[in-house]
Amino acid sequence: MNNLTLPALVSLLFFPGGLFLLAGGLVYEYIDRKLVARFQNRIGPRWFQPLADVIKLLAKEEIVPNGVHKGLFIALPVIGLASTLTAALYVPMVGFAPAFSFRGDLIVVLYLLSVMTLCLGLAGANTADRFSLVGATRTLTQLFSYEAPFLLALLGPAIVARTWQIGEINLYAQNNLWFVVMQPIGFLVALVGLMGKLELPPFDAPEAETEIVAGPLTEYSGRGLALFRIGKNVELVIGLTLVAAFYLGGIANPLDFLWKTLVLLLVTAALQSLFARLRIDQTVGLWWRAGALLALLQLVAIIVGQMIRPLIFGG
Amino acid sequence: MSIGAMIGDILRSLFKKPATQRYPYERYPTPDRLRGKLFYDPTKCTGCQLCIKDCPSDAIELIVLDKVNKRFVMRYNIDRCTYCAQCVQNCRFDCLSMSNEQYEMAALQRQPFEVFYGRDEDVQFLLERATREDPEAQPCQPPA
Amino acid sequence: MDAQQIGKGKFVVPIGPQHPALKEPGHFEFTVDGEIVTGASVRLGYVHRGIEKGAENRNYTQAMYLMERVCGICSHVHATAFALGTEKLAGITAPPRAQAIRSLVGELERIHSHLLWLGVAAHEGGFDTLFMYSWRDREVVMDLLEGLTGNRVNYSVNVIGGVKVDVDDAQRDAILKGVDFLEERTHHYIKIITTDETLLGRTVGVGVMTKEQAIELGAIGPTGRASGLERDVRVDAPYAGYKDFPVRLVTDEAGDLQARFVVRMKELLESYRLIREILDHLPTGDLTVRAPRRIPAGETVSRVEAPRGELFYYIKSNGTDMPERVKIRTPSLCNWASVINLAPGYKLADMPMILSGIDPCFSCNDRLIKVNDRSVSQVWTWEDLRQHGIEYYR
Repeated sequence: MNNLTLPALVSLLFFPGGLFLLAGGLVYEYIDRKLVARFQNRIGPRWFQPLADVIKLLAKEEIVPNGVHKGLFIALPVIGLASTLTAALYVPMVGFAPAFSFRGDLIVVLYLLSVMTLCLGLAGANTADRFSLVGATRTLTQLFSYEAPFLLALLGPAIVARTWQIGEINLYAQNNLWFVVMQPIGFLVALVGLMGKLELPPFDAPEAETEIVAGPLTEYSGRGLALFRIGKNVELVIGLTLVAAFYLGGIANPLDFLWKTLVLLLVTAALQSLFARLRIDQTVGLWWRAGALLALLQLVAIIVGQMIRPLIFGG
Repeated sequence: MSIGAMIGDILRSLFKKPATQRYPYERYPTPDRLRGKLFYDPTKCTGCQLCIKDCPSDAIELIVLDKVNKRFVMRYNIDRCTYCAQCVQNCRFDCLSMSNEQYEMAALQRQPFEVFYGRDEDVQFLLERATREDPEAQPCQPPA
Repeated sequence: MDAQQIGKGKFVVPIGPQHPALKEPGHFEFTVDGEIVTGASVRLGYVHRGIEKGAENRNYTQAMYLMERVCGICSHVHATAFALGTEKLAGITAPPRAQAIRSLVGELERIHSHLLWLGVAAHEGGFDTLFMYSWRDREVVMDLLEGLTGNRVNYSVNVIGGVKVDVDDAQRDAILKGVDFLEERTHHYIKIITTDETLLGRTVGVGVMTKEQAIELGAIGPTGRASGLERDVRVDAPYAGYKDFPVRLVTDEAGDLQARFVVRMKELLESYRLIREILDHLPTGDLTVRAPRRIPAGETVSRVEAPRGELFYYIKSNGTDMPERVKIRTPSLCNWASVINLAPGYKLADMPMILSGIDPCFSCNDRLIKVNDRSVSQVWTWEDLRQHGIEYYR
């Protein structure tokens, strides 16, 4: 079964690249907040709350504090959001075929998603505020710790499908046994890695409000803060799509997309509300001692399996 | 040692009614003893002023027009009241009581915070006298 | 220690006066080396309200309501301490039923305070789900207090010479039912705080205070008891109803944050037991005795055990209906030294938890202290104090 295709301009501006993703990000943020609220036995926000927050932030004055590089301060949120929106073009959003695709786009997408975190770190380091500096250190530390395991976890399906192209892997996943059954460890590492990437609790040490206020974003207000928040939301949608496409039997149509990402969101929301915040040293320790090791084991098992399979099945 | 000791709680909550409320639209019934707005019954009052003496926040003031004919007016400043019910405790003639229904008394103007209790004609008399004596001070008008 | 001096040439992370970790204003400066804290200092006094001075021109009954507002969480113990002290000066004793009801409300208040603390401490550690659940269950005891006394926060149970509210059969049943539910939940919370891996990672071995340190730093209340310090006014010098209903001391030897969690939760279980006992053997009789308006001249000390530790009142009377001097020493003040001395060596991420580990109450302990540099004595009026406050924060 083949995915549908869209004209280039539409995919850049409206779907899946532009407006649609912005709106989708807000919807997913709402669902996430609502789920966490229900897990905590609260009512939670109303449906327009994320949109209202963004509108409020956009209407507010953007204060550029003393001692920052002004250009960088204004450009960083834009770069961060742009890179996440670009990443969406290579991902089979909502079950349509990726708008653009080439051999090895998986690596590009992963790096584009990291640009967002990098922008956050730079934004923190750019200001003279002490909370931002501590937050920036923590953000970058966390970037280095989750990057490897998350990459390794997404590599598993890629190796089995024998391609570095997201669209191809998606097709492969649709026509074969779900990777979550074949590579359960990889799925777990990918999901938790996604939460680490998005700095969701319990991996929210970089923006732990009770210690360092809002981490790198402490000095941001108005437009910059709104863009960073939207960027995070978009990253959430893309990340969920990637994990669903790789591990939950691919995304063939919009319905597939909806239920698979929502199930993933339910699981991440439960994980978010289940734990106390990890200290940054605990986060790093967990990733390098457990996450990376498990992903590596998985990878070795896959490679060995690939080598053995021709011998058994006469390949 | 366990990972995620609260999993039972959060899964149960997903299928349970939230513990929080949409407050202005729905509210719990108040207990009988709730200390809300103060009410005064001039017919039982003897004008002993014991309630005034122990009020920690100067919220009440008894204006005696005629002690023999029991013409009392009580001026009650809701914004000063701390709802401690010491005046109710002090009163030996049961003329003070606190409502358990009227407890949401926030307002945007000053006006509703000044309440006069007493017979209608006494309150009227008092207000007229106040405006006559000092035309600038209008006790029941919101500030300009 | 002066905040400016220790911060020279080092990376200082300021917490407060306005900071999401603090629910009240206080200022802390942590010198950090990377994530490790190397020094700490505290500056208090942002919420000084002149309550002690204010008590001097109010009569005893009015002053009692003022004292009740020293602390929002433990309002009842303040009023109780003041009422007990005044009764001692006046030479009267409240009837046994009144004393028992004072203890009953005190224990209910302890439950609400400890559950509130559990939520705050969990929130400082980023465990918002535990925070939400403990506060949800705290509503049960808040409703009990509201039903019993008429208000959720300032209960106004005391009068000089007794109490205002009585416990009838319906109240009794409601309290017993609520306590049963809370006991079950408390066992559940004990299970969570002693087994949940992520929470243990944040609490075990953090902020360790030995018994010797606890004595040296003057730690009191659950903070001291978590280090094995056997000190509780309810046991050492029973007041109000605690003479008839003895309390069992809860201590722990570990002295870390985990122990502070466990001690407070076990104190809850002890409170439940005590409440049941008081309700089963509630003495009959009057609620009040007549108290004189003018209190005979003299001075006295009144001690009670607040949820955070020992609360100390000194009251001096000059024979009029107004106190001449009221001095309050709240438990939070005694525990600051432990925070400042324990902080170095731990991570920055542990600071909010160590800070909240003593269950700090800022506005309680903010008093004006003026040390005369010359031997000039000076009497400040209410207006002088007000002006001083305005100038100080300008």
